[in-house]
This record gives sequence, structure tokens and C-alpha cells, in this order.
Amino acid sequence: MKKLMLVFFCLSIVSFAADAQKFITKTGHIKFYSDSQLEKIEAHNRQVNAAFDAATGDFVFRVLVKSFQFEKALMQEHFNENYLESDKFPNATFLGKVTNIKDVNIGKDGVYEAMVEGKLTIHGVTQPVKEKGTFEVKGTKITGKAKFTILLADYSVKIPGAVANSISKSIEITVDLVLDKLN
Amino acid sequence: MKTWVKIIAGLVFIGVIAGVLVYFFIYNKPHPNYELMDAAYSVTVADFYNAYTSNKTEAGNKYNGKVIALSGKLSKVEFSDSLTICVFVFNKGMFGDEGVRCTMLPKFMELAKKFQPDGEVKLKGYCTGFNDTDVILDKCSIVKQ
Repeated sequence: MKKLMLVFFCLSIVSFAADAQKFITKTGHIKFYSDSQLEKIEAHNRQVNAAFDAATGDFVFRVLVKSFQFEKALMQEHFNENYLESDKFPNATFLGKVTNIKDVNIGKDGVYEAMVEGKLTIHGVTQPVKEKGTFEVKGTKITGKAKFTILLADYSVKIPGAVANSISKSIEITVDLVLDKLN
Repeated sequence: MKTWVKIIAGLVFIGVIAGVLVYFFIYNKPHPNYELMDAAYSVTVADFYNAYTSNKTEAGNKYNGKVIALSGKLSKVEFSDSLTICVFVFNKGMFGDEGVRCTMLPKFMELAKKFQPDGEVKLKGYCTGFNDTDVILDKCSIVKQ
């Protein structure tokens, strides 16, 4: 019985230690931006789910496409109905890892360069992604930041011929996540 | 003035008016006022969340992109830099608490901050969908009961 209790106690410690390495947010911010001669497109999503496991480097975020807010209502409609088809593909996700996790010391405040590698799924199409970002450790919070560019064609997002020249074929994505330690 | 000049001037005038109308009423049309819109469905938060967790495709087809009125017992109110979120918790998962998250319109942020946990509330907002952990309602307002 004593041995059983000891095993249970050890498992609890391991589980607690594992949880202590997890950081999450549900109010992360993703901005996308594109600029062309005729049209500037900018949208913000401030309800991004993200989780980071500092022990393994696993990093994931999920975004509801319909939660992107545009300044112009018409753009938001076109984005959801014609380009990202959010009824058909409601989520965009990233599933990957911080590959240089040993360089990120979550026990010490500071800004660390992070190499993130994984799979980004947008519009139902999954593509490998490898980008550089930063992790800023401050107490029990980690702020993850990254900026990268994707090509709409890589994710089968079609631009109608009539506006093909007025819309940029690439989108700059800015990720800004303030992750809290999971209690 | 010659007839053809009058015709061209008339056409230009109509074109300019059409352009102005398109600019203001289509290109620059305002976002919908979700506070004033009627709810497509009025349900309890528990039934709403259960609908997504038991069949997210069916629930998504029914509720996503529509204005939904929800009533139920509030778990907590969360704040971020620019958001006030009323949260109804039903589960715990890899992203912490899971349930229904209602982001309030700026007009209702102060009122929502006064909500007490476990108090009964009725909210209305635009359903953006289920991200496999939470159902999200945006532009939420408080419904007077």
C-alpha cells in the first residue's frame, strides 16, 4: 500500500511539473496585412488560442476565421465568403515546435530568439512553415512574437480576375501572444 | 446646347451619382449593428455548448455567422488590453477552461465588469464558431430581462 501511495505521489509530482511548464492564452493577437496599389487590407483577430509547452517546445495556436475584424464591412464579407470560405473552413491552425527550446530559459527574464517549425493550415490547406520569432520571458508570462509572409496561392485562396491586380498575392502575418503560466 | 452634349452631360451626372452611391452604400457600408439585430436563436448556454461538443459540424451549420441570444449562469469575466469577455466554463482542457466566451461590445464593457460569478445573465452576440475548445460570440450586448 505504501509503495502504491509513493508511486501515486511521484506521478502527481511529475504531472504537476509538466503542467508548470505550460503557458496558454485565449486572447492572442494575429494581424494580417497586405498592401497594393489600389487596396490596403488589414484585419485583426484578438481571440487567438495558443499553448506552449516549455518542456517539450510544442507550440500550437488556433484561430477562428470569422473572428477577424476589418475596418470595412464589405472586405470582411468578401474575406469570409469568397476568399477564406469560413463556413467551409472555420479554423486556421498552427501545430509545431520551438526547435531551439534549450536556448529559451523560462526561469530567467529576457528576450530569446525562437526558431519555430511546424504546419500551418489555412483554408483547409496545410503547408510546412519555418520562421524565426522572439519569446520574451517576464515573470510568469511569455510574450511570443513573429512576423512572416505567406502566399495566398499556397493555400488555394483564389483572387477573382476582376480584382487580381488590385489585391496583393501575399499576406504579412504578425503574431503577438501573451502567454500565461497554466495553473 | 446641342442634344448630344446634353445626353453626355446627363450620362456623366448619372455616373457620378451612381459612383457616390456605390462608395457610400456598398464599398463603405457600415458593419451590422449586432445590438439592434434580432437573435436567430435564443438558447441556454449549456444547450448551446453541448450542441457544439456533440456535433460541431451540425451546430456550426446552425449557429455560425448568426446572432444568438444565450442565457445561463456566468462563470467569470476576463479582461485583456482591449477586451472584456464573459466566460461560461464547462470543461478543462489543454487551453485551460473551456466553454463559451462572449466578447462584449465597448458600450457594455463597464456593465459586464459588474457581473458576479454564478449570476444569471442573458447576452446576445455574433457567433464566430467553435475552435475545438470554446465557442466564441463577438460584439455581445446585454439583453434586458
